[in-house]
Amino acid sequence: MKKILIVEDEQHQRELYAMELQEEGYEVDQATNGKEAVDKVKANKYDCVILDIRMPEMDGIEALGKILSRDKKVPIIIYTAYSNYKSNFMTWTADAYITKSSNLKELKDKIKELVSTRS
Amino acid sequence: MDLQNVLKSTLVFILAGGQGERLYPLTKDRSKPSVHFAGIYRIIDFSLSNCLNSNLTRIIVLTQYKSLSLDRHIKTAWNLYFRESGNFIDVVPPQQRFDENWYMGTADAIFQNIYIIQHEKPTYVIILSGDHIYKMDYQKMLKYHIEKNADMTIAACEMPINEAHRFGVLETDSNLKVVGFEEKPQYPKPVPGTENAAFVSMGIYIFTTDKLVRYVSDDHKSDSSKDFGKDIIPKIYETENVFAYNYVANEGERAYWRDIGTIASYYEAHRDIISISPILNLYDKEWPIRTYMEQWPPAKFIHNEEGRRGIAINSLIANGSIISGGYVEQSIISPGVKVNSFSEVRGSIIMHGSTIGRYAKIQNAIIDKDNHIPEHMQIGFDLEEDKKHFMVSPEGIVIIPKSYVQ
Repeated sequence: MKKILIVEDEQHQRELYAMELQEEGYEVDQATNGKEAVDKVKANKYDCVILDIRMPEMDGIEALGKILSRDKKVPIIIYTAYSNYKSNFMTWTADAYITKSSNLKELKDKIKELVSTRS
Repeated sequence: MDLQNVLKSTLVFILAGGQGERLYPLTKDRSKPSVHFAGIYRIIDFSLSNCLNSNLTRIIVLTQYKSLSLDRHIKTAWNLYFRESGNFIDVVPPQQRFDENWYMGTADAIFQNIYIIQHEKPTYVIILSGDHIYKMDYQKMLKYHIEKNADMTIAACEMPINEAHRFGVLETDSNLKVVGFEEKPQYPKPVPGTENAAFVSMGIYIFTTDKLVRYVSDDHKSDSSKDFGKDIIPKIYETENVFAYNYVANEGERAYWRDIGTIASYYEAHRDIISISPILNLYDKEWPIRTYMEQWPPAKFIHNEEGRRGIAINSLIANGSIISGGYVEQSIISPGVKVNSFSEVRGSIIMHGSTIGRYAKIQNAIIDKDNHIPEHMQIGFDLEEDKKHFMVSPEGIVIIPKSYVQ
């Protein structure tokens, strides 16, 4: 089973994504900020990481670099309410940048595409 | 954008992390860009002077191994700007933001410093190597990059085809658009319209910023060697606008470029410089080469008796040195060197603070800093004997490391 890490500080959102992705047949892990995410990536192998940007303790931008230095091939999707981080070059190292919407279809499609390339 | 704004929105990276293994033992205690050259300079002074003369004043020097002497040199010789003016020469060691490892290759060095690009927000990024001896007007190349509407421009030097196999060879169409690239090919492709010359990459690149970031970020996720020559160029020319910049045609009579890769090329570049009218003209007021100058008194030549005459011919003699009744020919004498009576120095490079004892005879040697050659010692005459004590290059150049003979 493909394993996904959701990094999101907002509890309701995090749990909603987790539920929806479990329904799609993924095993889902959760982290509430960047620091926790980095620790989880150190300990586990994920097939995809869904990463929020604005989070307490360690934001998504900083976490992105640290995750990649642990596992540079893990597909990372930035999933944020803000589109302005697209101009931040650090986000270019992610595999996709999706702006949050009420419909999770775009996110699910992207996950499907990316995990299929992960061996 | 007018020229002033173009220059302001250009960021220069000088890659100064080269270990320079093939220049050992000159690189025993220093990185390649900080190896001394022509008595008073260090190799990196050439790239930095080119920047200064091209009015490029936002410069990042990326260091890695043995960076202490380089760091110190840049702080003393190149402390030119107020940070507040928006101009800077910053020495940046690996920050390990992305990776706990040191830089894997040239592209990785840029990738690991993306945050600097993010912070400075340049429109163009120039990437230079800190270990070449050359003069080049980067402003001209930048104009060319803009005129061609290029995503990447690679400085290229025409080279005899039988020597090109040691370099990255560019294949271009008649507009100089890059249509092929091979790193160290067995059979280099010739420049269009010729048979005997090939365009080799000089390792000098200009990128439009977003393309640079895109390609180094993608490359980071691959299993490549993370090198511009080996990994980025072979990919980028296939989809983007990549042009070659003909260095010699643009630079004219000032064109001189040497990659100081080996002891032999280092030694040869010095032979160039002591020739009567070298192409690399250090007296060119239009294109001065800047360095750090310690306060020394002028060079001094003393004694004038038969057999004990302080003489130097076809040589560069730096301040602070004393030719005291010794004979110097075809050599470079660095600051603070003393050549004592009845000694002879030919075809050699003597670095800072070394002394040549009475009756000593030196030929075809590189004597690094702070060596004290004893009286009557002979170096460069019996190579088998020299090999027992020092390093001797395949070409027969004897090298004595820093502070080795006391």
